Amino acid sequence: MLNNPYVPILFMLALGFAFAAGSVGASVLIGPKRYNKAKMLPYECGIQPTPRPEGGGRVPIKYYLTAMLFIIFDVESIFLFPFAVAFNKLGLFALVEMILFVATVFIAYAYVWRRGGLDWV
Amino acid sequence: MSNLMAVALGVPSVALPAAEQPHADFSDTPMWLTFVKALIVFVYLLLSVLVVIWFERRVVGRIQQRPGPNRFGPFGLLQTLADGVKLMTKEDPRPSHADKVVFTLASLIAGTMCFVSFAVIPLAGQVNLFGHTTPLQVTDASSAVLLTLAIASVGAYGILLAGWSSGSTYPLYGALRSSAQIISYEIAMGLALVAVFIHAGSMSTSTIVYQQRDVWYVIPAFFSFIIYVITMVGETNRWPFANAEGEGELVGGFHTEYGSMRFGMYYLGEYINMFTVSAMCSTLFLGGWQAPPGIAAINDGMFNHGWWGLLWFTLKMWLFLWFFVWLRGTLPNIRYDQFMRFGWKFLIPATIAWVLVVAFIRGAQLGYLGDSSFSIGGRRFPVAMLFVIGLVTLLALAIAWVWVNRNQAKAEANRFEHPAEIDPFAGGHPVPPMPGQRLVEPARATTRGVAAHAEPVVTTTRQETKEAPRG
Amino acid sequence: MTSLTMAADPATMSTGEAIGFWVLATMSVLGALGLLFFRRAVYSALGMVLTMITLGMIFLGLGADFLGVVQIFVYTGAIMMLFIFVIMLVGVDSSDSLVETLKGQRIVGLLLSLGLAGLLVGAIGRVTFPAPAGLTQANADGNVTGLANLIFGRYVWVFEVTSALLITAALGAMVLSHREHLGTRPTQRAWAERRFKEGKHLAGLPVPGVYARHNAVDTPALLPDGTPSELSTSRVLAAREQVAVPGTFVEGEQAIQREIEEGRTR
Repeated sequence: MLNNPYVPILFMLALGFAFAAGSVGASVLIGPKRYNKAKMLPYECGIQPTPRPEGGGRVPIKYYLTAMLFIIFDVESIFLFPFAVAFNKLGLFALVEMILFVATVFIAYAYVWRRGGLDWV
Repeated sequence: MSNLMAVALGVPSVALPAAEQPHADFSDTPMWLTFVKALIVFVYLLLSVLVVIWFERRVVGRIQQRPGPNRFGPFGLLQTLADGVKLMTKEDPRPSHADKVVFTLASLIAGTMCFVSFAVIPLAGQVNLFGHTTPLQVTDASSAVLLTLAIASVGAYGILLAGWSSGSTYPLYGALRSSAQIISYEIAMGLALVAVFIHAGSMSTSTIVYQQRDVWYVIPAFFSFIIYVITMVGETNRWPFANAEGEGELVGGFHTEYGSMRFGMYYLGEYINMFTVSAMCSTLFLGGWQAPPGIAAINDGMFNHGWWGLLWFTLKMWLFLWFFVWLRGTLPNIRYDQFMRFGWKFLIPATIAWVLVVAFIRGAQLGYLGDSSFSIGGRRFPVAMLFVIGLVTLLALAIAWVWVNRNQAKAEANRFEHPAEIDPFAGGHPVPPMPGQRLVEPARATTRGVAAHAEPVVTTTRQETKEAPRG
Repeated sequence: MTSLTMAADPATMSTGEAIGFWVLATMSVLGALGLLFFRRAVYSALGMVLTMITLGMIFLGLGADFLGVVQIFVYTGAIMMLFIFVIMLVGVDSSDSLVETLKGQRIVGLLLSLGLAGLLVGAIGRVTFPAPAGLTQANADGNVTGLANLIFGRYVWVFEVTSALLITAALGAMVLSHREHLGTRPTQRAWAERRFKEGKHLAGLPVPGVYARHNAVDTPALLPDGTPSELSTSRVLAAREQVAVPGTFVEGEQAIQREIEEGRTR
């Protein structure tokens, strides 16, 4: 386990976390603390904040579509990575298979584009 | 150049890469030395951030014809240090609506994750460190490049959670926009790398650097390089893609409610992420720590070994940092919908098409599409490869031709000839002339003015005006 | 240093491996429990993120490089991002409601899960595993290449079917969430032209009034005679009765002012 190549990444993680937690903690200790209510309000350009709706408000459904499309292309790229790495050994068959795969996913892409799913406004 | 092209496109003279395993040799690296190297990288990053913030402010100052910070230390070099101390000693208010735990956790995620990716970047080749011969690279693995993408997606949580936990409107919108921006551009970034993996046959950073000893991948994968440079600006939320902050509309974006060192973590994270993507770009496309072509040949490659690598690597990385600053000083922000349209409708399909093209070219090179070949200047070129390249070029030209024609037709249809003379009151409302138009003084203007004055001024009160509801 | 570092004999387990397993497994189970028991939806999602990351790390520890990284890349990056967006779609601060909508739902649910657990334990308990081939053989060409050989070899049909799955996903997302515009929406230019044709409010409607400390959109502008102008606020706000009247904020305003004064002297 100890000579697993991913262990040193934990070192970096630990160093980064120690630095982040240390400096945030230090600033909490060093910094002044003068309480007043106006400071604790959410920032809205110096005006009184608009009351938040019940449940904190909802975000546009547009983001759902973006996340879903992201997953689709993420999965596509996940298949492309091993294909690329092993390309030298896979031969023509894999190339043809990959073109079929990309073309099929492209159908989904074309459909979404045509229906206007990629228009942000 | 033609020689380079020959190297890039010819049949590989060396045997094909045997494995995807890391090329760097870590066998003489005890655990404590790995930790020391991690510490070195960590300090290297912190020092770089100190310099780059000063550098950015000075260069942007220069672009805008003002001196920039020049008071503290020689040339104001210690300015960032002073900023850090100031951030440290600031009060850190947390809005009363904020979610206490996640509010702090988010900034810690941002401050921690930014360091991690640098662990797989090779800063130099084999060097002598405390009596051991070891690569100047914390670690390497067969999925190293993919790991940096994964880490970047974990880092996006720092932004999303910051917006959510602030309990305030602007940060929430800033965070949503920013994470949508990051995930949209991450796809194109990942796809752009596929071309490099096809050429290198590995996702290990040291192997990719080693495979570039003949020719840097910026030449055979030039389009990937362009896409990567664009997406790396989008990934780090930098100008002209700084929509996450969007000062005009969202105050400070996702970190509006953050102050003191909790904000400092985002500040630090942004710059370290810039270093990470720049380092990745130099590693994947510009030969990593290897000396530039001319210098590499001097004295049998004496500048291409050991600690020299750190110099070349740093120079290449700073080239991109300078590019970031240059962009910031030159370009205005683009609109969010334009940004998303560019990402989804151009970058992604173009990158996928490019990956397939590279796969075909490489396939032809490896003889998948037939074995017949000819040789020019001692190098063998497969016929199929030239065929593929020719086909792709023709296709690209055809698309460009159609596109230009369409644009021209559109411009033609939209052109509106302004008449040479204009009567400013023709529409009943005074309009100024367009450039080059001559104003016709209307003869009735005077009489009209008099008539208007002669009429009794009608005061409209609220009762009289029927107010149309605002829609 | 390769990834083939685990003990070649699958029966033994090194100390480091054991420590890694127990730490990661504990965190992963804790994350899963958090997913179940946190009341706030975003906390539950974070618990799941923890589980996914630790699972990925366990894969990495077992020498399945690509699988481990992809676990973090896809699950943490993409799928959990989708979850969080969905949670925010429902309501940014939404939390579990403990009201039972279906009567006896809890008891039935408990019985069914106990049944499933019994079934799984019974089934897995009887399985006899074939002798494992071992990492050395599985990763002979390298981890990623080995995986690619499987994808484009034995499982090529499954791989192609995945693309059909992706199409279904895109279709579903579009049907569920996309609203098509009927007709084109008027551009800024069209609005301006229409305004000039009608000849009313050529310079636009009056802007809302501005009080120093209040979100001005719901605050009507005052006409010269002191009455609020209905034109200056959105009719949506008027329908919701959210239009502010002068004097509403005086009280809160003074309270904040006092707080600030106190903060200064304290």
